Amino acid sequence: MARRTANKSLQAKLVLLGDMGTGKTSLVLRFVKGQFSEYQESTIGAAFFTQVLSLNEATVKFDIWDTAGQERYHSLAPMYYRGAAAAIVVYDITSMDSFVRAKKWVREVQRQANSSLTMFLVANKADLEGDRKVSNEEGEEYARESGLSFLETSAKTAQNVNELFYEIAKRLVKANPSRQSGIKLHTRATESRRRYFCCA
Amino acid sequence: MEAAMRDHPLWTTASEEDIDCALEGLEKYVMIKLFSRTFSATPEDAKIDNEISEKISLLQTFLKPEHLDIPPILQNEASLLLAEKELLKINAFKAPHEKLLSILNCCRVINNVLLNVAMSEHVPAGADDFLPVLIYVTIKASPLVIDLFLLVCHFQANPSKLHSNLKFIKLFRRQEKLISEAEYYFTNLVSATSFIVDLNAKSLSMDENKFEESMQAAKLMNKVTNESSSTCQMSQQQNNECSFSEKMPHKPNATGVFEVLEHGSNYPYMEAKSKGLTVGDVEMLLSDYKDLVNKYTILCKAISCLSTSEREPLLRQIEKQSAATLISHHPGGIF
Repeated sequence: MARRTANKSLQAKLVLLGDMGTGKTSLVLRFVKGQFSEYQESTIGAAFFTQVLSLNEATVKFDIWDTAGQERYHSLAPMYYRGAAAAIVVYDITSMDSFVRAKKWVREVQRQANSSLTMFLVANKADLEGDRKVSNEEGEEYARESGLSFLETSAKTAQNVNELFYEIAKRLVKANPSRQSGIKLHTRATESRRRYFCCA
Repeated sequence: MEAAMRDHPLWTTASEEDIDCALEGLEKYVMIKLFSRTFSATPEDAKIDNEISEKISLLQTFLKPEHLDIPPILQNEASLLLAEKELLKINAFKAPHEKLLSILNCCRVINNVLLNVAMSEHVPAGADDFLPVLIYVTIKASPLVIDLFLLVCHFQANPSKLHSNLKFIKLFRRQEKLISEAEYYFTNLVSATSFIVDLNAKSLSMDENKFEESMQAAKLMNKVTNESSSTCQMSQQQNNECSFSEKMPHKPNATGVFEVLEHGSNYPYMEAKSKGLTVGDVEMLLSDYKDLVNKYTILCKAISCLSTSEREPLLRQIEKQSAATLISHHPGGIF
């Protein structure tokens, strides 16, 4: 869930879904490593990343969760997208299979995740025009039908990579206006009013 | 609790950091005190733990990195061993924070392995590699000790109580601390565990028949292990040496085995001479013989399931060991 931590600052969990080899991780690395500001901390792990994006209206701190794309781990995906504020479903334009699996993820996430989730369908490896198997129209058409946003990207040339994350950040800010919202109070915190004394 | 603390006059001047520290200390104190009542408190939890533990101990005997499609470059046993050790520490702690730290440290080691490979190979690592390696580490996080003398594999407790540990952390770690990176790695271990629970022949890159055979063989080996370890415990109890077996119930020590042979507690005819036998012994001898043949067949079957690379050093050791036994039983007989 997207949470406001302080005034005009938003923390958001973003999940990456997509078949193995579609370049999910490369996409994030291109984004995280491309943000050069010294004062904005970021985490670059192997599968978990954080990045702060400053927009005019607010600051968005992304927690980016990578997921394993292999078919055999498919059933585990709900554990990862549970509570996510945004999801990026990635396919590779040179592989029809990856597009078919992307559709499967889209259907699943729409069925199971929270309704306010911002989802993007991303066609990666747009630089490999020569090997293209999934046309731009096909992807766009499917995204329109399913009510998603669509972008063609290339982690290699950085085409549309920053645009993708900025667009998500903007929508999250729009969806979470500056009044306090989405903060989950600690349920156990209010249980007891007893005071504790330290006896000497 | 947090609100009560903030309201209290004692804490009005405390900084955010102090309060956080105090809350950490409080969580640790309370949960250590309540550990026996909150950790694995229901019989169902214990049952699930045992089932997972048993499945892992079966998988341990034959699972290889390639069955999970872990690329050879990541099959760095030394580093993965470090990750396994970190994960095993989970049972050394009682506080939820410390248990969670064991998981995080394990994941960080894997993370570093992946990042190092990514640097040297110029291919990005990612969850596509992270999760399989974590699953492998979780399964292997307990050295499979092959007791060469007994010809049998013994299983040390794998990260036993995996289910209870995860449930405990989920329930009792402060929720505002189980976020971001900690939550990510925690979720990964939860999903790795769920993968192991549901694991079947189709989950691995392995021939389905081969999988069933290996599972079957592992079950047989487990059975034999339990039998032989109980034998050893018996002999140890006779010698008032049961303290060791209590600590490691599945790992009989080598001296215990020697004692079995030397004192002949289970094989009373080892020292017998043919002249000393009577017709009345035939029944005992026959049942001993049948028992022996049964055990031998089971072991042969188990050994035949090992790959050649595993079998060779094992057989060489057995030869050495049996020579040693001959010497110890017939001192001077060889010279």
